[in-house]
Amino acid sequence: MKTISAKSKDLKTINEAIRQNVNGTPVTVSSASHLHGLAAGLKHGEVVVQGRAGDYLGVLNAGASIRVTQDAGKYVADNMTAGTVIIEGDAGMGAAQYCYGGTVVIRGNAGDFTATMNKGAAIIVCRDVGDEVGTYMLKGDLVIVGNAGHNLANYLIRGSVFIGGTWQSLGHNTRLVPPADEDIARLRAYFDAHGIQADPTTFKKIVAASEKPFYK
Amino acid sequence: MAIVGSFCVSVNREVCINSQMPGKCAACADVCPHGVYALDPRTGEMNVVNYNACVGCRICAEFCPVNAIRINPAEPEYFTRYPWTFAAIEEVHAKALTGEYLLRGFGTTGQTPNFDMITVVPSQIASAAPRDKYREECDMQVVIGEDTCEKPMILKVPFVWAAMSFGALSKEAKLALAIGAAMTGMATNTGEGGLVPEEAWLARGYTDREMTRKKWDPGGYVIIQWSTGRWGVSVDYLNSGDAVEVKIGQGAKPGMGGHLLGAKVTEDVSRVRGVPIGSDALSPCRYYDVETLEDMKHMVAFLRDVTHYQFPILFKLGPSRPYADVAACIEAGADAISIDGLVGGTGCSPDIVTQGVGIPTIACLPPAVQALKDYGVHHKVKLIALGGLRNGLDAYKCLAMGADAVGFGSAAEIALGCRVCYACQKGNCPYGITSPKPEMRARLDPMEGGQKLANFIHACTEEVKILTMLSGHSAIRDLSTEDLRAMDLNTAALTGLKLAGYDRPLPIWEALGGNGNGNGNGHH
Repeated sequence: MKTISAKSKDLKTINEAIRQNVNGTPVTVSSASHLHGLAAGLKHGEVVVQGRAGDYLGVLNAGASIRVTQDAGKYVADNMTAGTVIIEGDAGMGAAQYCYGGTVVIRGNAGDFTATMNKGAAIIVCRDVGDEVGTYMLKGDLVIVGNAGHNLANYLIRGSVFIGGTWQSLGHNTRLVPPADEDIARLRAYFDAHGIQADPTTFKKIVAASEKPFYK
Repeated sequence: MAIVGSFCVSVNREVCINSQMPGKCAACADVCPHGVYALDPRTGEMNVVNYNACVGCRICAEFCPVNAIRINPAEPEYFTRYPWTFAAIEEVHAKALTGEYLLRGFGTTGQTPNFDMITVVPSQIASAAPRDKYREECDMQVVIGEDTCEKPMILKVPFVWAAMSFGALSKEAKLALAIGAAMTGMATNTGEGGLVPEEAWLARGYTDREMTRKKWDPGGYVIIQWSTGRWGVSVDYLNSGDAVEVKIGQGAKPGMGGHLLGAKVTEDVSRVRGVPIGSDALSPCRYYDVETLEDMKHMVAFLRDVTHYQFPILFKLGPSRPYADVAACIEAGADAISIDGLVGGTGCSPDIVTQGVGIPTIACLPPAVQALKDYGVHHKVKLIALGGLRNGLDAYKCLAMGADAVGFGSAAEIALGCRVCYACQKGNCPYGITSPKPEMRARLDPMEGGQKLANFIHACTEEVKILTMLSGHSAIRDLSTEDLRAMDLNTAALTGLKLAGYDRPLPIWEALGGNGNGNGNGHH
């Protein structure tokens, strides 16, 4: 295990240090809440961020496992294509936007615009989310164990939103359907893999009303 | 829509093939994007069924095998019936019937302030003597990111292709642009629709993925666009080019995101963008992952980081508040800033936005240059002018007004054969430039298209060279507003250029703290 302190260091120094050390052993980074774009664009390896993380943590992640032991800032796992990002605390607004693949787990709450334009990732929020969550999703799963705010899954095109709690309003082009057996199995697999205490049979499923919504 | 009803269309029955062999030829009906012609199913004759829809592109005349079609401009209703011209009436009728606003492709129509009322000042005895175009050298090179990146982009000519995405353009058109860039040493731009794989090596002058077989010198560059829809973007994608362009907006529809209508979302495009086949792909109008200028600075920082500090970061702006917007881009850390004027083109946009939103290119340049000067980075952070530029003369005027390079978008499509029918959004382009249909795309050979584009750039380069040298300079970086004069009050007022004859900037510019060199501003 390699440990790097980011205190008073800049993004270039720390990200280059991470890239040099992710081969084989996990890398722990501490005192990094001032860095925005930490662990960007990694293709493999394991990074643990000790404490809080700044904005754009794990942006463009392409295969690494990244874990933050406390809260993370805005836009966690932005544009991720593969890998895993786990936030043990809360995530700021816009978590897991533009993701093409991989898994994002937020054990606390997530803010507005979480999972916007998800294009294939599995995004799991263990508590509540804000407004406009899951906007213009094109593929993948968004799982909300708690409650959601206004305009949930607005202009959903493809993919599924699963929610255990309630929501204040649903967005355009959405439809509630009963989860199929394979949906419940998939949720159970997510929960088992990440040690989440929830009963998948109580979840509601939201899908797109049409793949070709009328936009004008 | 603005030009509907402006043309008289006729088919000369004496020569039309269908008069001798009824129903044998439907070339005009097949290629017309607006349904002006139809074969009469009873007689087999070709009829003009809707001449009011003609936009005067004359594609039909080009495809007619016997030259039977005549298209003449109608009497300009604008002068006799304004505001209730036929076009205005038709527009109201169409909206009353459908409840829909009008969408169309290409760019602004009609008169907007342009570069035509600017003249170039040649050298005589009072200034540096002219340089000899035929026997002396002229430095046309532009370097982007010279001090900030490990691999700066060294353009051999001061031109780039404007960003046009795969999806908006056909694959063949994208490849032709890449080949044209390779032949001339300029840069092509992926646009926001993802990279056509071949584009990366063709643009650099190679014919194979491994880049071992070089075919075209000097070889060009690929600018990878990072946009609000983030179609097909990954860390490998960002590293597959030579620069990253952060798209904020575009001239034809500043404040709106990309429109790709379902008709053009084919299997290939669907694979790249992840949008279902036939479903509209409408990019967000803003970055969902940027709220403040601080966020934008962080975005530039991580884009530099994931590309290992190798490539320049460019910004592309629509024409809004050029001084403040350019200042923000400088603060965010741009190596170059493209500013796209009102006349800039598009694959699809609401008609009212293309027609009525944004600042003309000519009026974007003075405040943009002033911002660069105020930050002390003029010609360090490069300025790229775009938006309806047509030739070396337009390009020269932009360079002299303070730009470092210019972009061609509409002109590139026209060089590939486009005749400006304003229907790019329909996916029926008879030249295969904006159509996803195999039968149309077969008409565009990327090699031939690439050669045409390279020829166009060679001609424009020579034009810029002629003008640069006759005005007494041997490098484009030495051009200044002193090499231009405005020929009317409007142009002098918009640009701060000296008015021909009066030979000073207008007093409004001098009063605002102009430096007498035409670039004073009141934007602080």
